[in-house]
Amino acid sequence: MTMTESELAAIVGRPIPGGSYTIEPYVDWLLNDVVESGRDGEVAHPLFAYISVAVGKGLSWDEVFAICGATAADGPMFGEHETVLERPLKVGESFTVSGEFVSAERKRGKRTGVFDIVGFRLALTDAEGELAAATYNSIVFPRRDA
Amino acid sequence: MTATLVRAGTVIPEWKLPAVSAEKMKTMALVLVDPNPIHFDLDAVRALGMGDKPVNQGPNNLAYVMNMLAGWTGGHEHLRGIRVRFQGNVLGGDHVVARGTVSALREEKGRTLADCDVELVAGQRVALAGTATVDITHLARG
Repeated sequence: MTMTESELAAIVGRPIPGGSYTIEPYVDWLLNDVVESGRDGEVAHPLFAYISVAVGKGLSWDEVFAICGATAADGPMFGEHETVLERPLKVGESFTVSGEFVSAERKRGKRTGVFDIVGFRLALTDAEGELAAATYNSIVFPRRDA
Repeated sequence: MTATLVRAGTVIPEWKLPAVSAEKMKTMALVLVDPNPIHFDLDAVRALGMGDKPVNQGPNNLAYVMNMLAGWTGGHEHLRGIRVRFQGNVLGGDHVVARGTVSALREEKGRTLADCDVELVAGQRVALAGTATVDITHLARG
């Protein structure tokens, strides 16, 4: 059953457990091969800002969907993504991942029907405790039974 | 190219991939720890009524735009930020083109930054679009 709008609003401010992520050299190699990018072995591909938070957030995607009252079978979709880099990420670096849900909004479209957009921010902090990158992601949840 | 030649309206050289690899989506599923079968299991894709080609991971599409910006500026270390909205799927075998145009130049803390409008197109479809900021100070200093 689709969560109520008040249940949806209660997601905002909920912390995400977080964890850690290391840009392993072999994963840097693989990622650059996957996305057809040149590799210099020092500066990591900037997509690692996304990968670091996606893998190091401390929740599986199924757990994220469950918090949002959905499952993978409901067809959640990527909405928006933002990366802000304070500096280049380096191959071999380790980061602490932390963040929270920051928005949850119900929308109605004539063609799309009811859907919810849930946003969360996650940050990468380096070994010196300095912010290296900040990310924002939103997920669109179709609510077919709303 | 030097920053003196960069201005609002400057077109960034395109980045093209003739055919998105279905095999590389399998590697990416492991890198992302993403169990969604639409990226690697054609039986699952068919069962979901999504055709007979795997769906590229959204982050891959974002990476192609980052590659375009790195190609223009000389490296990934010059990217300062990017924000995109995912608008459509890219499928295995699709020809994709990353495009961008400088929308503004500005100075910040002694650095020259270029704000850009960016997009990734698969065939005639826009897969994602948004904005990005790159540091082009090194271009200004030749």
